[in-house]
Order: sequence, then C-alpha cells, then structure tokens
Amino acid sequence: MSPVLAVILTVLLASLLGGLWRVIRGPSDSDRMLSAQLLGTAAVAMTVVLARLQDMPALLDVALVLALLAAVTLVAYVALSERRGR
Amino acid sequence: MTVLLAFDLLLAASIVGLAAATLLMRDAFAMIVAFIVFGMLLALGWARLVAPDVALAEVAIGAGLSGALLLRTLAHLRGGGLSAQGGASVSAPTNGATQGINALLAGLATCALGLAYLGAPQNVPGLEAHVTDAMPESGVTHPVTAVLLNFRAYDTLMEVVVLLAAVIVVWQVERGLAETPAPALGTVYQGFARVALPVAVIAGGYLLWIGAEAPGGAFQAGAVLGAVAVLGLLSRHVRPAPAHRPLARGTFVAGTAIFALVALGVSGAGRETFEYPPAHAKTLILLIEAMVTVSIAATLAALFHGREPVTVATGKETT
Repeated sequence: MSPVLAVILTVLLASLLGGLWRVIRGPSDSDRMLSAQLLGTAAVAMTVVLARLQDMPALLDVALVLALLAAVTLVAYVALSERRGR
Repeated sequence: MTVLLAFDLLLAASIVGLAAATLLMRDAFAMIVAFIVFGMLLALGWARLVAPDVALAEVAIGAGLSGALLLRTLAHLRGGGLSAQGGASVSAPTNGATQGINALLAGLATCALGLAYLGAPQNVPGLEAHVTDAMPESGVTHPVTAVLLNFRAYDTLMEVVVLLAAVIVVWQVERGLAETPAPALGTVYQGFARVALPVAVIAGGYLLWIGAEAPGGAFQAGAVLGAVAVLGLLSRHVRPAPAHRPLARGTFVAGTAIFALVALGVSGAGRETFEYPPAHAKTLILLIEAMVTVSIAATLAALFHGREPVTVATGKETT
C-alpha cells in the first residue's frame, strides 16, 4: 500500500512543480493567481495522502484548513482588483 | 522506500528553488503569489518532518492570511487597486551601497545561524523527557499545547502582545473611513461564502477545542476566524465604523488581559506566576486560548483593514 501512496505523492508533487511554471512566468496576474489556486488543490491532496502514509490523522486538519483558506487569497485578489473600477 | 526518498529530495529542492525564484522576481505581485505557494510547500515539508503543529500554523497563517495581507498592502501601495497602471511604482530606488549593506547583514545572519547550528550539541536528548515527565501536571494531553500555554506561557503571552502592539501602531499611523465602493463580488462568491463561511467558523472552534489533545490551538483557530472576518471586510458585509471602536479595542486587548490576569491570579499561596493549579489547568488554558483566539481573529482582521475607522477632517486624503 505505502509504495503506491509514495508514487501518488511524487506524481502530485511533479504536477505541482509543473504548475509552478505559470506562477513564475505569468504572463498575467490572473494566470499566476489561478495557478496558485490549482497548486493549493494539489497541496491539499498531498497532505491527505501524507496523513494516510504517515498514519497521522492530524494532517487531515491541515488539509481542511488549507482547503478553507486557500480561496481567501483568490477572493482578496478579485475584490482588490475591482476597486477603482478599472 | 526509495520513492519516498526521491519525493523528499524533490520537495526539499523545490522549497529552496522556489525561495530563490521568489527573491529574484521583479514583479511584486508575482512575488506574493510565489510566496503563497512557497508557504504550501513549506507546510508539506513540515508534514514530512512529522511536525503537524507547525504545518497547521504554516497553512493557516502562511498560505492563508499573509497572502491576503500582502495583496492588501500591495493594493494600498498602488493607490487602492491591484492594477499596476494605477499608481506609483512599488520598487523603491536602491543604490549599490544599500544593497551591499543588506547583503552583508544577511550574510552575517546566515553565518550566525550556521554557527549556532554547528555549535549545538549533537545527539543529545532535547527537553522531550522533561516535557513527558511534567505532562500530568499540565492539564492537557497534547505536548505542544502544554509547552505553549503552560511550561513557557510567558513567551506565548509576549507573542500575543506583539500582535496587540502591531494593531495599536497601525491605528496610530492610518485613519479614516473606507470610501471605495463595494466590489462587485458576484453569485459565485455568494455561493462560496454560503458554504465556506459557516464551515470555517466551525473549523475555527474545532481547532481551538482540539488543541488540548492534538495539533490545533489559539493561533491557528484565530487565523481561521480572522480569515472569515477578512472575507466579510472584502465583500463589505462588515463595514468598520467609528462606533465599533470601543468594542474593537476591548477585543484586541481581551486575549492579553485575560492571559495576564490568569497568570497573576494563580500566583500567591506558594505558587509562582503562570503556575496553574493542576486541577483547574485545563479550564484555565481553554479560557485563555478562547480569549486569545477571539483577540487574534479581531486583530488580524483589523490589520487587514489597515486603518482606524474614524471620520477624518476634510482636506486630508486617505486611501
């Protein structure tokens, strides 16, 4: 079981690193912010897998908090971009 | 376990690589987004190091609230919005001498850290044995909470005071009512808020309660509840007004005040300050943590709002 989980973990990290390209390169602010949101989902998945792999249920709480709070930055981005009405 | 080793190496390399990439970026917005992702990678690193408490604090504060705080700051620097054409450039002019001094100081700090690490005694048992011995007297069953709220409660009190000092300074520096119109957050946001906000409030209370026996506690719970308040401020459902100031001041101070009062109140009759009677330790710790949670949530939201809500005399522009 655990070798499979380790492979899943590595694949998820690879997908996260692939998405990192858009965070660094952009070109637009929205590209960066949306890829960060996508990476947040990958990080939640990895935390859940780690909770199982390391037999640490506390990591499920970490995944819960990350899933809840990752969207706050997106809402802040949208709300702050719309001030001024440009 | 070679796959897991490969994963660890890849994760460690990407943490260092992303840190370097973040520092080398020119665009402030890109730096903020990269820093948010950096926080997520760091939390995964802590999870791999079997430190779920630190991972929880990192995702609550690092990946969640500081991203929103930094975006708010950037919007403020750019004159009210995130669009780059809307204001002055963010990058301050720096000359070679400033950069040289900065590099020197950063290098010295790195050398000091390296010396401290290399000079630390190797392979000695830490304080875990002492903590394990004292656990029955702590009132809680989670060692991290026992250390934070009991064995080294004085340090934790000072951490709460740091946040209080921050909000006092912000209110001194920046005043005025927000005059910008409410952002057009549409039906997607309303659907999100309807589902996420009640869950976040419950999660905050859960983190506070579970802190007695598992990773959780006041700072994490405060960060989650603070995020709820930040969403309320962003959608303009919460509009800070001058009339809110007495309540806000009381809430900012409540955590520090209750913490200090409990610490002093248990002293006397042969007890030191902060030496909770074991029979009441859990009640006192949860009381302190609950008040500190509310204070932290209110303080973080006030820091996000970034100004004291007071009517400013005409002629003074506030943004």
